[in-house]
Amino acid sequence: MTAVTEPQKSPTFSIGLLAWFVFIGTLLAIGLFSAIRVFIKGLALTNMYDSVPWGLWITIDLASIALGAGAFTLSAIVYIFGLKRFQPLVRIAVFIGFVGYTAALLILVMDIGRPDRFWHPWAYWNVHSVLWEITWCISIYLVIMILEFLPVITENKFFDRMKWARELAQVLHKSAPLFAVLGLGISLLHQSSLGAAYGIVKSRPIWFKPSMPIMFILSAIAVGPALTMTVTLIVEWITGKRLVSHDLLRTVARFSAFGLLIYGYIKFWDLAAVSYYGRLPSVSQALHTLNQQTPYNFAFWIGEILLGIVIPVILFLVPRFNRNPGMLALGGILAVAGILINRWNVTVSGLFVPLAYSPGTQYVLPVGSYFPNLIEWGVALGIIGYALAMITLGVKYLPLFGAKEHSS
Amino acid sequence: MTKKTKVIVELTRRDFLTVVGASLASVVAAQFLTTGPLSPFSKLKQKQLEGAAETGHGAATGPFHWGMVINLDTCIGCEYCLRSCSAVNDVAVVKPWNIVVEEKNSAGNTFYFSRPCLHCQNAPCVEVCPVRATYHRDDGLVVMDYDRCIGCRYCQIACPYDARTFNWEKRADINPYVPTYGTPEVDRRPRGVVEKCTFCIHRIDKALNSGKVPGEDPEASPACVSICPVGARVFGNLNDPESRISTIIAENPTIRLREDLGAEPSVYYIPPKEGL
Repeated sequence: MTAVTEPQKSPTFSIGLLAWFVFIGTLLAIGLFSAIRVFIKGLALTNMYDSVPWGLWITIDLASIALGAGAFTLSAIVYIFGLKRFQPLVRIAVFIGFVGYTAALLILVMDIGRPDRFWHPWAYWNVHSVLWEITWCISIYLVIMILEFLPVITENKFFDRMKWARELAQVLHKSAPLFAVLGLGISLLHQSSLGAAYGIVKSRPIWFKPSMPIMFILSAIAVGPALTMTVTLIVEWITGKRLVSHDLLRTVARFSAFGLLIYGYIKFWDLAAVSYYGRLPSVSQALHTLNQQTPYNFAFWIGEILLGIVIPVILFLVPRFNRNPGMLALGGILAVAGILINRWNVTVSGLFVPLAYSPGTQYVLPVGSYFPNLIEWGVALGIIGYALAMITLGVKYLPLFGAKEHSS
Repeated sequence: MTKKTKVIVELTRRDFLTVVGASLASVVAAQFLTTGPLSPFSKLKQKQLEGAAETGHGAATGPFHWGMVINLDTCIGCEYCLRSCSAVNDVAVVKPWNIVVEEKNSAGNTFYFSRPCLHCQNAPCVEVCPVRATYHRDDGLVVMDYDRCIGCRYCQIACPYDARTFNWEKRADINPYVPTYGTPEVDRRPRGVVEKCTFCIHRIDKALNSGKVPGEDPEASPACVSICPVGARVFGNLNDPESRISTIIAENPTIRLREDLGAEPSVYYIPPKEGL
């Protein structure tokens, strides 16, 4: 059996590409500078404080893991449900998943107070902790994604002389269904646990509900593949090459739309149960405070529901729109923005509501307030720069859109 | 049209006997596995039957369960508890472990509401910590391992009573509550970890080694309890029905904060006479 590789052209540097690398380099430089400042001085440089100890970074962390969900969704579709025609999208999906998860880990290391102890969850177990379980699942899933992706890397002509690498790749590729099953299990666990991390906190009235993990996982399954589709379309425009059949991308968009509809359906009943029928005093009080003092309602209805669910669903489902790649990409971008707004709104709004620890007394803690400062934005830009750099390099040097089975 | 195929299931006597046998065996096995001595759940079941309250993941299993009673009726709001706590544990003045708040009850009268860590037996902070940096000792105290904490701040978010603070930077402040004639009994916490009230475990542990009784001897009790000029705080062993704290709880109306959350705090409050 001989391995066949595409002869890869050495990359040519155009002005546009150079400008793009300068842009990414700037983002990375800003991020690195901010990160070093935080490592030296501590988290006091951020706008987070004891009442709102989680902020922008956790939002990015949650969002990038959710957006990486395309990896396990498409792997499962191809290798477990046997829909082989989605095969051309698996590599790019797994690659984006890998970028998302590593970005999440990078920003987590920034966010914890003791980055030097990042390995403690692996050494000191608290099996009761949702966060412990999330850390473990993310680490394991990262390994699974690397194993899923290694065969693609070995297709590079650098490995032409290393027979053992190609043989290893063959073995790994043969076990793709196994990785898909493992990945599905692990992903279902941790994507929902991210929601549970909020849903189990009984001291925070607007978080404490069983719908939290369900909404997190549904939104991840819906929007992850949409991001894969969007990135594919954008790469097509830039390279000017048709990479994947647009029929396939439309099918992914429709899948994503149905996912978003189910997500919206759960959100509807959640809203009905919590604020229309439930009206528990603590929850009503919390929502009242939020509506009075923060743009919670605006962000919810306009950001999460209209921009994040309704418009993408229309763009993905109505034939007039979904035949137009531009509209598909727009829908994908809006859905991604919806996820970001949702994770932000959940995180900071839950923390803004002051704790009610002594009912019946008149003193209430002040309502929290938080907006990220420059250094937090700086680190965020750095993470975005990292993601863009990885995707650019991946698209340039790796056969991400191989429609055929490799090394066969 | 798809072709319909008729499925015929043939059941032999052997199959029938196998199914019946398996059903009977599983009924018997279920009994043994759920209640019998072989069952991994038998202990749990026994506990449920005895009606023993669930006390979280391994809280207060030893002979002691340290608790506190704070009498809101006698408290005069002098903040000595806050200051002595700060001096003994070297706590930053702006972020006290022991918080004193001026409150008004429904009749409009002022009272003072003070609050250390409540050392919950179902502590949300213990459940959420990803590295077991905060844990229950067998005397029911919720304590921190500052060498293990990674500073994720999830415990701060989970705590219903706002009892935890985070070290956002390396502390360089001069603690004005530390008297010139002495030094704090506890080291400062490093940057990047969460910290909280410990009920002065260093005093309790030392006292037990030298045969003193925490709650009775001032140097064996938490600093806030020893210093209180009006005796509004009482500390002791909740497991001992003869202890002073148990008697006070038995003889007075007491409340605990947010009982509805089921966190089972170890701190009891005696409300002001005219009510909250």
